[in-house]
Amino acid sequence: MPQPEVHATLTGAIAALFLAATIVATFWWMLHPPASFVERRAKEAETELERMVGSIIVVFTSEIASGHMMALAAKLARGERSDLLAIYVIEMPYTLPPDAEMPLEERTALDALGAAETIAKNTGISIRTEIVKARSTKQAVLDIAKRERANLLVVGDNREGKYVGAPLSRTIEEIAADAKCDVLIGVEGKHGRLLTQDHGATTESLSGKQEQ
Amino acid sequence: MATEAVATQRRSPELRRAVTPWGSFSWGYSDVGADIFVGLGLVLAYAAGATNVAFLFAGIVYVCIGLAYTELAAAYPFAGGGPYFVLRGLGDLFGFIAGWAVLLDFTIDITLFAWSCTDYLSQLVPVFLGSAHPWVHFLVVLSLIVALCLLNVAGVRESTAFNGVVSALDVLSETCILCFGFLFAFRPDLLLHNMSVSWPSPYHLMLGTSLAIVSFVGLESISQAAQETYRPASIIPRTSVSLILTILIFALAYSNLALGMQPWHPILGAHGHPLQFWQIFPFNSDNQGKAVALLAAQVPYWGAIAAFYVPILGAILLLISSNSGVFGSSRIAYSMSRTDLLPSLFQRVHPRFRTPSVSVIAFCGLAVLTLVFAALPSLDPAALSVYGRLFHGERGLDFLADLYAFGAATSYSFVFIALIALRLTDPFSPRKFKIPLNVPVRFRGRKTSIPVLGVFGFIGIFSILLFTLMTHPIGRIAGPSWLLLGVILYIIYRRHRRLPYLRSQKHDWRQHQREILRTSGDLELLDEYEANLKAADEAAAREGPSQ
Repeated sequence: MPQPEVHATLTGAIAALFLAATIVATFWWMLHPPASFVERRAKEAETELERMVGSIIVVFTSEIASGHMMALAAKLARGERSDLLAIYVIEMPYTLPPDAEMPLEERTALDALGAAETIAKNTGISIRTEIVKARSTKQAVLDIAKRERANLLVVGDNREGKYVGAPLSRTIEEIAADAKCDVLIGVEGKHGRLLTQDHGATTESLSGKQEQ
Repeated sequence: MATEAVATQRRSPELRRAVTPWGSFSWGYSDVGADIFVGLGLVLAYAAGATNVAFLFAGIVYVCIGLAYTELAAAYPFAGGGPYFVLRGLGDLFGFIAGWAVLLDFTIDITLFAWSCTDYLSQLVPVFLGSAHPWVHFLVVLSLIVALCLLNVAGVRESTAFNGVVSALDVLSETCILCFGFLFAFRPDLLLHNMSVSWPSPYHLMLGTSLAIVSFVGLESISQAAQETYRPASIIPRTSVSLILTILIFALAYSNLALGMQPWHPILGAHGHPLQFWQIFPFNSDNQGKAVALLAAQVPYWGAIAAFYVPILGAILLLISSNSGVFGSSRIAYSMSRTDLLPSLFQRVHPRFRTPSVSVIAFCGLAVLTLVFAALPSLDPAALSVYGRLFHGERGLDFLADLYAFGAATSYSFVFIALIALRLTDPFSPRKFKIPLNVPVRFRGRKTSIPVLGVFGFIGIFSILLFTLMTHPIGRIAGPSWLLLGVILYIIYRRHRRLPYLRSQKHDWRQHQREILRTSGDLELLDEYEANLKAADEAAAREGPSQ
């Protein structure tokens, strides 16, 4: 039975190395074509989104109901792997010291933030929560946004029971006007439906004009 | 009126652009990559010590062909391949001839690769050996062709994902075989010795070179997939150049390794003398058909596992290539029929399976005829003497490779001419990839350029066509006869349809190009095309009144 023969030479080793390197380089080059204009635009938009929602704060107060927006923020945070913080701001009346006990308000805050934590848990993301006492809700939200370097503030609409004649409460309008980041405002319930009906009316009027 | 408006708005379904860079590469690789499995043994048998030189010459020509296809497929990403480029560049008649030559190639492709697939399987299943059991070999090849025909009529095709996996496995496997081969079995002194002692006669070198081109056939596939490739103008140049490089590197590496290889287990000849690896191929058609499997088994260490899986991997790749012949021939016939180059019969779609069943059955039928012609001498001793007198005993794999080389060389020659013609007549279409080395010229008052490599490539492929005609007794009769038959049928058909048969019909290529670019995903190219047309029209309008 003849014995197996092996011949290792420097030339052979160089040829093998050259062959493997050329094949690897060729495939690397082939699989990395330059991006087209539309692909660059899409990449920019994705990066922008990442920048927009890197850190999200969901705002709750006794006036602002953000439950449904919390669910949206949780899904957004999961998709973009954002840092998520839910805050409940208790506005302290000037007649009381700034750190006075507010048992009823604090109980409501714990319920709201507990619900936020449950939503986050169900969505499979981590969340931080914080109860803040402040003289001005707007200022407290903006200060925390600055501290957290927030990219997005998420707020719900003002509660129906305290509707004072404006579609958005003064607090929400001030936050939206003075925030240094994007603000996402959810309009639910009566005002949401009003907008839907308005849209329907607009569509009807438009189609009416076209018919004329 | 409203119905008419709706009808004009409703567009016929277009091929979806979903083929990725790897998908595009594997589409081409599953066709061209299989060629070395067939070509290596044949070239080693005839070119002997000059096998690497034969592959080098054919490889240089192939690089030029590949670059020409790359430029054309990127500029005209339409599922028509070479015949479409020739139709646009040279008109209907030459478009038909190129398409008819490609049809010959695809038909032979079906038989050749099914034949070679059986040869590779015979490495593991000895009863499939053609020399020992010719009838079994014939029946297995026939069954493969019939099975592929039925699968294609029923519309079952291998998926792009399957192609991608097989291609990836094969590239990895061949790289390992070659790396291990060069590392542990390559002797440079043996290579030089074989090149000096076993240098073939000029006749055999020409024969070997004409067969070496067989290892590089199939670039059609990438250009045919162009219409389904996402951003073809950017992707196709990359996948095409990568395919060219990969195949060229493999072919040159295999040929040099085969000549300079010290077999892992010594191979003994009839008289008990040790043989060099390449010496097992001359006068042994069984070995010629499965050269890569034999080489892989002789590579130290890796050969221990390669001996088992390479015949299977090779057989799968060859079967995919054979299937691409069935699919490609029916697709080319279908597109030629749509441009009135072939009768509308070839457009006929099966009512249930929605496949071009007439084309599939017609070309599979032709493939069976070529199989019978190739296998007849081994099945019937009386036929052997007839072949000996008329065709110098040429038969089997040689006969199939002859026609394959002839069809490829003919269609490639026309593609080179079309490339130059399109550079002159259509300088408006944006060319994101251009063959290097161009000479600027003015044609009909417009600035354009002539590709020097295109001219060299044409000379190269035309010389290979001449080698084929000079050295292949069957090829020089059957090849031109096929073309002549096609031209006669073309003239009869065009006269019957009252269409011009020497001149071309009117084609609105501008609108056609707009449509191609609109759907290509590279909208910048559409803008560039429109700007070029506008500038050309303005220049023509300025020159018009002065004349």
